[in-house]
Amino acid sequence: MISASQRLWRTSPLTYIALVLAALLSIYPFYYMVVIGTRTLDSINDVPPPLTPGGAFGDNFDRVLANDAANFVTGLINSIIVSSVVTVSVVLTGSLAGFAFAKLRFRGRNILLLAIIVTMMIPTQMGLIPLWGMMQTLGWYDTLYAVTVPFLVSAFGVFMMRQYASQAISDELIEAGRVDGASTFRIYWNIVLPALRPAAAVLGLLTFMETWNSFLWPYAILTPENPTLQVSLSFLSYAYYTDYSQVFAATAVGTLPLVVVFILFGRQIIGGIMEGAVKS
Amino acid sequence: MSLSATTAPPSPAAPPPPDAASRRRRGYLLNHLDLKYSPYLYIAPFFLIFGSFGLYPMLRTAWMSLHDWDMIGDHSFIGIDNYTRLLSDEYFWNALVNTFGIFALSTIPQLLLALFLANLLNRTLLRAKTFFRMAIFIPNVVSVAAVAIVFGMLFQREFGLINWLLSFVGIDQVDWDGQRWSSWTAIASMVNWRWTGYNTLILLAGMQAIPKDLYEAAAIDGAGPWRQFWRITLPMVRPTLIFVVILSTIGGMQLFTEPLLFGNGRILGGNQREFQTLAMYMYEMGIENLNSAGYGAAVAWAIFVIIVLMSLLNFVLVRRSAK
Amino acid sequence: MSLTTRRTRMAAAALAAITAVGGLAACGKDDDTPAEGEKPAKLVVDTFGEMGYDELVKQYEQQTGIKVELRKTAQLGEYRPKLVRYLATGKGAADVTALEEGILNEFKANPRNWADLTPLVADHSTEYLPWKWELGKAPDGRLIGLPTDVGSLAVCYRKDLFEAAGLPTDRDQVSALWPDWNGFHEAGRKYKQGSGGKAFIDSVTAVSNGVLFQQGSDLFYDKENNIIADTSPAVKAAWETATSMVDISAKTATWSPEWSGGFKQGTFAATFCPSWMLGIVADNSGEANKGKWDVAAVPGGGGNWGGSWLAVPEQSKYPKEAAKLAEFLTNATSQVEAFKAKGPLPTNLEALKNEAFLSYTNEYFSGAPTGKIFGESVSKIEPVHLGPKHQAVKENALEPALRSFENGQASKAKAWEQFVKDAGIQGAF
Repeated sequence: MISASQRLWRTSPLTYIALVLAALLSIYPFYYMVVIGTRTLDSINDVPPPLTPGGAFGDNFDRVLANDAANFVTGLINSIIVSSVVTVSVVLTGSLAGFAFAKLRFRGRNILLLAIIVTMMIPTQMGLIPLWGMMQTLGWYDTLYAVTVPFLVSAFGVFMMRQYASQAISDELIEAGRVDGASTFRIYWNIVLPALRPAAAVLGLLTFMETWNSFLWPYAILTPENPTLQVSLSFLSYAYYTDYSQVFAATAVGTLPLVVVFILFGRQIIGGIMEGAVKS
Repeated sequence: MSLSATTAPPSPAAPPPPDAASRRRRGYLLNHLDLKYSPYLYIAPFFLIFGSFGLYPMLRTAWMSLHDWDMIGDHSFIGIDNYTRLLSDEYFWNALVNTFGIFALSTIPQLLLALFLANLLNRTLLRAKTFFRMAIFIPNVVSVAAVAIVFGMLFQREFGLINWLLSFVGIDQVDWDGQRWSSWTAIASMVNWRWTGYNTLILLAGMQAIPKDLYEAAAIDGAGPWRQFWRITLPMVRPTLIFVVILSTIGGMQLFTEPLLFGNGRILGGNQREFQTLAMYMYEMGIENLNSAGYGAAVAWAIFVIIVLMSLLNFVLVRRSAK
Repeated sequence: MSLTTRRTRMAAAALAAITAVGGLAACGKDDDTPAEGEKPAKLVVDTFGEMGYDELVKQYEQQTGIKVELRKTAQLGEYRPKLVRYLATGKGAADVTALEEGILNEFKANPRNWADLTPLVADHSTEYLPWKWELGKAPDGRLIGLPTDVGSLAVCYRKDLFEAAGLPTDRDQVSALWPDWNGFHEAGRKYKQGSGGKAFIDSVTAVSNGVLFQQGSDLFYDKENNIIADTSPAVKAAWETATSMVDISAKTATWSPEWSGGFKQGTFAATFCPSWMLGIVADNSGEANKGKWDVAAVPGGGGNWGGSWLAVPEQSKYPKEAAKLAEFLTNATSQVEAFKAKGPLPTNLEALKNEAFLSYTNEYFSGAPTGKIFGESVSKIEPVHLGPKHQAVKENALEPALRSFENGQASKAKAWEQFVKDAGIQGAF
């Protein structure tokens, strides 16, 4: 005889059908990107639209590399640099501040935390013009500083780490550190940071993805000479016509690193996102 | 990770260490200073960088919004005129309606679908759990720009896949960017595609935190799966649901790239501004038009206020649901 | 005190971190002001669309040893906001900046953003089309732009599609089909019948662009820069002619993916070609359609759409050298070269008389004598006053309204109402 709970959670074929459908829908546009990216330009406006990958990826990607207007390779390298630097910084500053907000007592703590949360509500496009002017004054126009420095900290990062630290790290652990005579920074470095590793991995991956994919600001401040990947992609279709198979081949290649990172660390991301929510 | 935590009292910090007799005086002083001031050092990087590159531009925008500001010419102080103009600006209200319309179309179905999928994924005996979770999450990895290009092609009038599929059920070519409902649907579908999986997983996490014995008790009382969903699951995930709504609100009110790229980069968002969002209107006034930068700044602040108001509303709901 | 030390150390560490990040930024801009008379290492040129400068820039580099960086932006709609940001913040602008006629007046309104070219270049005032030269001057008399091209109009048509639909294909016979716009409409209807219902032109906004500039009268503004969009006869004429052609339009908005795809697909058989459009038609149609296009006269004779000037922003560190480069790019020889490369039509009188220009035939367009066709039409251009926000009114008021009607979103009367209202909003300055 099956127990009540087992009966409750049994899975019917319908469940699988629904889930497979959802998975297909999720993957399809991504697959479509690959289809167009591996087709010749002529075949993409066919009716009915093509449904399977073709064999023209090499040609398409050669055109990407030969496209002087886009500097695809520079863009790829720049994106790797910018995303890595921003990710490391957001995780470190986020965990440091998150630790302070969660485990240390200081005046103005609550009001400062609230301030951080309010900053999450600021429309990103809002400061575009003044920020642009600032970059010009600093001489950062068309440099990687412009797309890196303003993003070295993240309100979401601080908030997320604060939430995680306050639950995952017991006060006894920190007290024990103090008894041993450790400074707060030592406690952070030796006790808190290792304990925050799962959340840090999630924050890191989300930050990496976000930085990798950010478009509007890099587009405003960089030129095709020195682009990030997303900016480079936008210049592929620079002319009056759009070579879609070229654009999609490049987009697929540009998304590939993220997909690889995601497949490698996917379990941890998913676990982490859920961790965060469980703690609510 | 719920915002409700912000209103919760902070967890008690570690009490100062016992003043052991063995410690020398100097060590104590150092320790005291460390405890008192080091937290400020730890949060300083955030406030320094945010202050320079986040706060300053925002305050500058506020200053601009009080002026008649020509980007490449002069400006003069006009007080709150830009804000009063906003109230009677038909296109501002149009953008507001569009933003809320797309927001509704991209939040309600998304949440229902996410709830449904999370409920399916929550079955303990489900095989290939990790595969399904990852597959559903993967759209979140793809950049908005790429999503917009792909969906732009799918929704093309002449050669698009969606019109081709619709032709089988006898529906004529839909001019997706030609009408309000169809453009909203197309844009919302991009947002839905990108975020449903993310929200599904957050909701799933909330569901997994529900104690199993609640269900068992209900089962013994003879409640079927549907009844259990309504009676137990839904009330218990309500805080998580509201958290998801807040995140969606912040994103939805700032929606920009999807509708912009959907309309071939035209800032009007359709021939009759059918899908021009608030952020696009801000961009049109503040950046595209040289001489109305001050007005654009006022639109920017209006967006901020709307987000804050909607978040406050959510805070109230969170409190209610917590009672 | 140890606290101070720690703080200092932290600050030093933070600084080091930021500097380290800085080391990654490869391509910074040097802000050193050059010494007097020093030769610039590099000059930057900002253009949009296709101005045909690639080869010329290389020539200039060889002649002078100054490196020239050519920054191209596809569409004016993307180009303009960038330029605005450069001027608003006083930094980032190219040394030589192209200004299109639609946005020229807007930028002329603040002439102090631009260097006065009069003392920097030789006197060329008699070497260009007189009206074109005059427009390069700001209201305060400063010379801010040297003329590049004009957008003299013609019709590009697909010979193979015309033949299949039973229309003549010879360019003279085709031109004879449409002495006026009624003739053009008639030819379009015939094409539609003969081809089994296919569209003739790309969009009604293309027609409106053709008619608008033919009238030789004020468009959206009068000479005192009052908005006259609702009463202007030229606008009304463009509106009426354009809206009447909705039955032969493919309804593909210019620059949209449907439009660029349409060239390959043969979605439409004709479009309006200012000479700078030739390169774009060729790019969009692809190598496979070479020799299928040809060029005929525009209905109603003459007309102008587009055309630019080269200006030097005040913020350029090398105004003198920049002006010299602009002078080079707009001289007679360069204008002929640019025309051969990408089609922009010379405004330099000597270039217009140049044998190489007049005898030039365009291989892609079935060997059409584009030099002769466009060269003859230049003299027919009637200069029109465009007003400060011409481009904004055209792009964000007139064309959306026309498309609303074209796509059946609004009745003709409603669409006109929409236009008049938006013209007031977009045209304010």
